[in-house]
Amino acid sequence: MMPTSAQLRFRTILFWLVPALMLAVPMVVNPYVLFIINGILIFVLITLGFNFVIGNLGQLAFANTAFFGIGAYSSAIATTSLGLPWIATIPLAGLAGALGGFLASAAALRGIRLYYLAIITLAFGELMRWIYVHAKSITGGTDGLSMPRETLLGFSLTDDRVKFYIFLVLTVVLVKATLNLLRSHIGRSIMAVRENEVATASLGIPTSRIIVIAFMWSGFVVGCAGSLFALHTAYVFPESFGMLQLIVSFAMVIVGGLGSVLGSILGAVVLTALPEYLRSFPGMEELFFGLIVIAVLLLLPQGLASLLRRLSPIFIERYYRE
Amino acid sequence: MLLQLTISGLSQGAIYALVALSLTVVYRSTTIVNFGHGDFVMAGAFVSYVLTVMLGVAFLPAAVLAVIAMFLLGLCFSRGLIRPIRGGPHIGYALMCIAVGYVLRGIARIVWGREVLPMPSVFDMPPVFIGNLVITGDAMFIIGTTTVLLAIFFAILALTDIGKMVQAVYQSQRGAQLIGINVDRFNDMAWGVGAAMGAMGGILIAPVSLLHPDLGASFLIKGFAAMTLGGFGSLHGAVIGALLLGVSEQYAGAYINSALIDITAYLIIVFVLLVRPHGLFGHKTVVKV
Amino acid sequence: MTNVLEVEDLCVRFAGLDALKDVSLTLAKGQILAVIGPNGAGKTTLFNAISGYVRPTSGQVRLAGENIAGASPHEIARHGIRRTFQNGGLFPALTVLENVLTGLHAQTSGSFLDVILGRSQALDSERAMIARARDLLSLMQMEKMADTPAADLSGGQQRIVEIIRTVASEPPILLLDEPAVGLSPLARDQMMQIIHRLAGETGTGILLIEHAVELVMAGADRILVMAAGQRIAEGTPEEIREDRAVLEAYLGHA
Repeated sequence: MMPTSAQLRFRTILFWLVPALMLAVPMVVNPYVLFIINGILIFVLITLGFNFVIGNLGQLAFANTAFFGIGAYSSAIATTSLGLPWIATIPLAGLAGALGGFLASAAALRGIRLYYLAIITLAFGELMRWIYVHAKSITGGTDGLSMPRETLLGFSLTDDRVKFYIFLVLTVVLVKATLNLLRSHIGRSIMAVRENEVATASLGIPTSRIIVIAFMWSGFVVGCAGSLFALHTAYVFPESFGMLQLIVSFAMVIVGGLGSVLGSILGAVVLTALPEYLRSFPGMEELFFGLIVIAVLLLLPQGLASLLRRLSPIFIERYYRE
Repeated sequence: MLLQLTISGLSQGAIYALVALSLTVVYRSTTIVNFGHGDFVMAGAFVSYVLTVMLGVAFLPAAVLAVIAMFLLGLCFSRGLIRPIRGGPHIGYALMCIAVGYVLRGIARIVWGREVLPMPSVFDMPPVFIGNLVITGDAMFIIGTTTVLLAIFFAILALTDIGKMVQAVYQSQRGAQLIGINVDRFNDMAWGVGAAMGAMGGILIAPVSLLHPDLGASFLIKGFAAMTLGGFGSLHGAVIGALLLGVSEQYAGAYINSALIDITAYLIIVFVLLVRPHGLFGHKTVVKV
Repeated sequence: MTNVLEVEDLCVRFAGLDALKDVSLTLAKGQILAVIGPNGAGKTTLFNAISGYVRPTSGQVRLAGENIAGASPHEIARHGIRRTFQNGGLFPALTVLENVLTGLHAQTSGSFLDVILGRSQALDSERAMIARARDLLSLMQMEKMADTPAADLSGGQQRIVEIIRTVASEPPILLLDEPAVGLSPLARDQMMQIIHRLAGETGTGILLIEHAVELVMAGADRILVMAAGQRIAEGTPEEIREDRAVLEAYLGHA
């Protein structure tokens, strides 16, 4: 069942209605909940970018923690060392993440696939973490960097309400841009590479360039998320970009649905909100994320997005725009 | 100095060899790379810790029990969690392995918190002095035990039909099925053996280093680096790659910069995959159209 | 008749063995040239060498006079040689329409930035391509399947969609690797009709690997017979039927 044109119009309205309604959030929730919601918005972007490579391009690349760290450190270094205003460092962080994506794609272009790619990108992430620890003069080593207090147009950037509006706008923009990309000839080619790389080339599609584009977009989105993260926690240090980060992103992608933008959003929302209180018990986070991934893999391999698709055709994702 | 470093490198490398070899056993039999393997290694070490330190069992029976326990865990994992998702995308396997690894890590942390546990030394062998060379009892113990275990492993492969079965399954799961190998059961066994061998590595390293729930992550990477260096899927390549890795870590740490010990494995992975993806002993894979 | 494709002394060596040795052929506009031969004769290697999936050791592949031997698969595809795959090359998770649209990738305009920002250049081109893809689908009576995932199609439908996708960009040359394999006799006849229409109506030069000899005898303009990586005969179906070398080498008659 595909959606009818009336349903498609409804979907468009829904797409803009949700963020519009969310504008009221800071007025109705308490500061702690708002802080959590800001974290959710960041995770939406991380999952969106990660899902783009593993779900849409179908490459088992674990470099997203690297992109995230690169983005966060770019923002932190640009504000602390270069004195740039934070808001101006978001595109910088995105571009730095995209550069990381470019490096990761170089491995894919060398014909390194599947497990090899997973391993080399894992190594990439850990090497970056080693750099954060050892390049003390600019990264602050294990102590990390703390973000300066800033204002933007007279609003304090330490205020979670101000952060919320910035995060929301950026999240909506990047989700929309990702959807635009997927519903285009470039997006279809990205998924064609996942489905059958050999056949993709036979259609005149430059598969190498497509792989580079997908990795760079993923790096860009996750890099931007890193920049938001730096402001969100006001503090950037190496441990935030380690292995736990990886299973969390994985869990969000799997729970939401591989290759689904809606799934990325759902996964991030569900899994940031739920385990917040687990944090005080050591080991519970690992156990929780591990079990939830196992359960979803066994019981709902297409993730929560597939449940919604069964509910109504308006949630079916199409990869073209008429 | 050089000899001294080589010996400590070989004793580290011996552990890596067990980890890399056990990863390779699973990979060759099932074409799955166990991304949770580091946590299997950690779990093996923890089980032996519980038995020896908390329950007072002697080291040898405790080690045997821990290996058996991990064998069963591997078997159950294959049967209960890998079989049901067969036929899906390969990413599913990787995720399942990672997820189980995190479950093991989570359990270890719930029980032990963030503590670092010292394991008592196994045999209080006095170090041997040869000239100004010092060989610790632990190093001798690790290198000796690993040599025996590896000898048994390769002897079984060479002298029994198991070796031929492994080869048959590696070349074609379907083909192996046709000549009467129960591939399902074979895969379960491979997971069991892989988990057991990984546990041996964990049990051997625990007395020399400290025990903590995150122990596995670094062993996983060392195992990958050894496999990559030796050639992914090659059994003897995994062993040689592991020994080379162990020794290079020591050299890099001593002669260049001690901070390099931590990232030698990563650098090897990146370098080998970009320059010679099939490693020292692996075969080039040819993409068929 | 003008030749759209000229292959001259094409050689492919793998590990010292000749997989393809001095194979030459010409293909004219609107012509159907069938390549037959026993298993291992080098038919698919010939296709791979022409379409860039295997690098020829020597020899030329000329397209409108330009040698393209050794170029990468996507470059060759852009030059106008499109192919299908023996095992089927559809993208199972994409719908029929999306599959056909991938065949129009090179024709779709809109840079990365245009696409991301949803600029009208990108959207207009996208709409035009969708209209074209729908036209093609209805031409083949497949328009009802447009939104069906390719994985849910029957074997015959998959073959047809793959051909629609391959010809969507109107390539002057088409390489079909056993398009009728695994099809019912009825679907096979349908497939041959489609191939004939393509050659006749759009003037596409078609190179066709086919195992079913009777199909080839009835449908091809000319036949190239290969064995052990070499060309052993070429001619009209009638000539091939009478050729003793072919009978001996291929059909196994004394």
